[in-house]
Amino acid sequence: MVVSIEFFGRQRLVTQTHSIKMPITGETRLNDALEYVRNLFPALHLDDGAVLVTVNHEMASLDRVLNANETVSFLPFIGGG
Amino acid sequence: MPRPSLLKAHVKHYNSNLMKILKQIKYEPARVVGGYTDRILRIDLGKSDIHVQELSPDFKHKYIGGRGYALKLIWDGTTRETRYDSPDNILVMASGPLGNEPGFPGTGKFIVGTISPLTDTFIDSNVGGHFGPLLKLAGFDALAVSGISQKDVVVLVDGDARTISIAAASVYDEDTDEGALSFGQQLLQDANGGELSDAMAAVTAGIGAHNSRFGIVNSLFFDRRRKRIRSKQAGRGGTGTVMRAKGLRGIVVRSSLPRANGNNAVDKEGVRREGSKLKEVVSKCDSQQLNLGAWGTTGLSEFMDKLHIFPINNYQYGQSPESKNLFAQVFLERYFSKKIPDGCYYGCNLACSKGAENVELTRGPRKGTKVNIDGPEYETVGAVSCMGIFDPQFVMEYNWYCDEYGLDTISTGVTIGFFMECFQRGFLTADDVGYELTFGNIEAADRLLHEIARGKGFGKVAGQGVARGKKWMAQRYASRNGASEEAALAEISKFGMEVKGLEFSMYISKESLAQQGGYGFALKGPQHDEAWLIFIDQVHKELPTLEHKANALKWFPLIRTWFNATGLCKLPWIDVRNPEAAKTAEPVKNLPTLAYYVGYFNATTGSNKKLEDLLDDSERLYVLQKLINLRQGKGTRPHDQIPLRAMGPAYLNEYQFRAEYYDNWLKEQLGDGKLPGSPEERHKLLLEKRAEAYQQLCDIVYEKKGFLSNAIPKRETVEKFGLMDEQADQLLKKFGM
Repeated sequence: MVVSIEFFGRQRLVTQTHSIKMPITGETRLNDALEYVRNLFPALHLDDGAVLVTVNHEMASLDRVLNANETVSFLPFIGGG
Repeated sequence: MPRPSLLKAHVKHYNSNLMKILKQIKYEPARVVGGYTDRILRIDLGKSDIHVQELSPDFKHKYIGGRGYALKLIWDGTTRETRYDSPDNILVMASGPLGNEPGFPGTGKFIVGTISPLTDTFIDSNVGGHFGPLLKLAGFDALAVSGISQKDVVVLVDGDARTISIAAASVYDEDTDEGALSFGQQLLQDANGGELSDAMAAVTAGIGAHNSRFGIVNSLFFDRRRKRIRSKQAGRGGTGTVMRAKGLRGIVVRSSLPRANGNNAVDKEGVRREGSKLKEVVSKCDSQQLNLGAWGTTGLSEFMDKLHIFPINNYQYGQSPESKNLFAQVFLERYFSKKIPDGCYYGCNLACSKGAENVELTRGPRKGTKVNIDGPEYETVGAVSCMGIFDPQFVMEYNWYCDEYGLDTISTGVTIGFFMECFQRGFLTADDVGYELTFGNIEAADRLLHEIARGKGFGKVAGQGVARGKKWMAQRYASRNGASEEAALAEISKFGMEVKGLEFSMYISKESLAQQGGYGFALKGPQHDEAWLIFIDQVHKELPTLEHKANALKWFPLIRTWFNATGLCKLPWIDVRNPEAAKTAEPVKNLPTLAYYVGYFNATTGSNKKLEDLLDDSERLYVLQKLINLRQGKGTRPHDQIPLRAMGPAYLNEYQFRAEYYDNWLKEQLGDGKLPGSPEERHKLLLEKRAEAYQQLCDIVYEKKGFLSNAIPKRETVEKFGLMDEQADQLLKKFGM
């Protein structure tokens, strides 16, 4: 089982890719995905309060269990100018 | 001094003697104290009259500045019969008490407010640049122009020479005379012995503003870094059309007074302290978040596409594989030639005003010319996607031509997109237009843009905007097909993206009930500067109930109104999230950053207000604007209704584009999970549910705002804010209250 982790905008300048796949088990949580990305790309700034951690483009709790083929992304806060 | 290549051909026309002064007064510029001069410059172009109006201290306490001043002048100085081209219509330009402070980010904003040619009620548009700050340094909190000049004129407000003049507009060559940018640059040079200076700024309106209802006011200033004239736009609602209707081609303002501490703040150290805090947050966070400093607002395109919010093909689809051609990196790599801080006013370290130099036009009457382009902003990119076009070069050229002609990129794109959909659905024919007006057809879109600007061909129809375009289309279709005009109008209104006469800004609101309200209740029409709640609603899921949505639809318009009254840009607050906000109960309000703004206001003006007090001040302005809408016939519940397209997939093709998503949404709504059998039935049921939810939202939002269920403000609401003058009393009586 895998989930897809997407990178947007400025994040891609660091990751050099639009997305990666992360293997999961039935107990993998969103926080595990966050740590996985932090380890893989230490230059990405994913500090608490700096980005919105989402599953399938909706904000989710970090202890949420991930399901196969879901999409994790780190969105900036957009206020609409 | 290097001259932009655009104007090389025009240099020979320079001659300061071309400025024939028709009327001039001497004046003593008032000193700015605590952010205010307590003066308004009043000019009646019909009578060639110039006078300085002194304000009582109460005026600023009650109406704050910016939008507040414009509202009060329009309320007192116009009537229900006033239209955009009436002599008594007033064109107001006003900064605010917090405008003009290089120690604090985003203080170059000013408001252009008037009675709109699109909505027939109050419209205002906020715009950056140096004009607002320089007007204040030249001695005025606001400039109010009434009357109509029989000949084209310009106004010169010279704080250095201490003169205010009305002069005949100079005549150059056709390109310069038609162009807001070209004319403005020439005007600034003529007014300053041929040299460009950052002690001067101008506002201008081009030929497109003369020939359409959605003309803009360009705000021009000299950028010392780029060594050229740059422009920002007061884009919404046809303020430039009003300017041209008055025979006013441009206004120049000059002041050589220092900008630093230009407001003579009561507590200078307090201003410095609050400004430093905000600058630190912007400096630390923007590059990790939206990266506006590098990409400008074009960075939004990718997120809007990903979240199905990009307004493709007249808001039919929110996403396309072709959208990537319009993402920020494309503009950064191909066009944003200088990677330098690009603030539209001194001291702003967000610096999001991106631009490009020497871009060669490949289309239109200026084909082959190399021009300097300011932008594109996200809204312009979105407007091009609205026409089904995904060509970045076209975005740049569309941007420049709209600015030069003086056309709103949003209304132009939405109107063209609307007629493209009329063509798609068989209402409009090639015989009507003169060519095939299909989505994605760059040649057709480009041709129609120039026709709108010149008031030629089908541009005469399209230049009237969507609201009038809907009626024209229904009449035309009905007479051609022997059909009911009423039925045709009802069908066309499903996808005619306007409310109150103003075209929507560039976000699909179908999946956010809160944003449907953000557009529908917006007093000026569907522009997102009252409330942009899509992200909070759709992604954060922080507005789960009608009560939550209604609270947001009260709070955000009030705080955003305050920004528009004080001369401030909202971006450093709303688009740069302070990490401390995560520790608060409502992170989306970004309250830690707002605290800096409250501190800045108090330090500048010597007040001791809390955020709640500022929101109360804003609510007074909000209710006053509501009264103007009521007077102008745009203030009741039917005027807050939005097109079907804004609340859901208006047609089956849109439903099918995201069938799985919509089916899941319906299942959640129905509870038992049993869906109707056919896609047609599901689509119909979904739209019924959406329409029902919107009406429920109306009820609760009106209650929160102190209005009756017909959207008319209660007497006690008007009285609470000290607005019950004779006019308000008579107006409410007329509505049976």
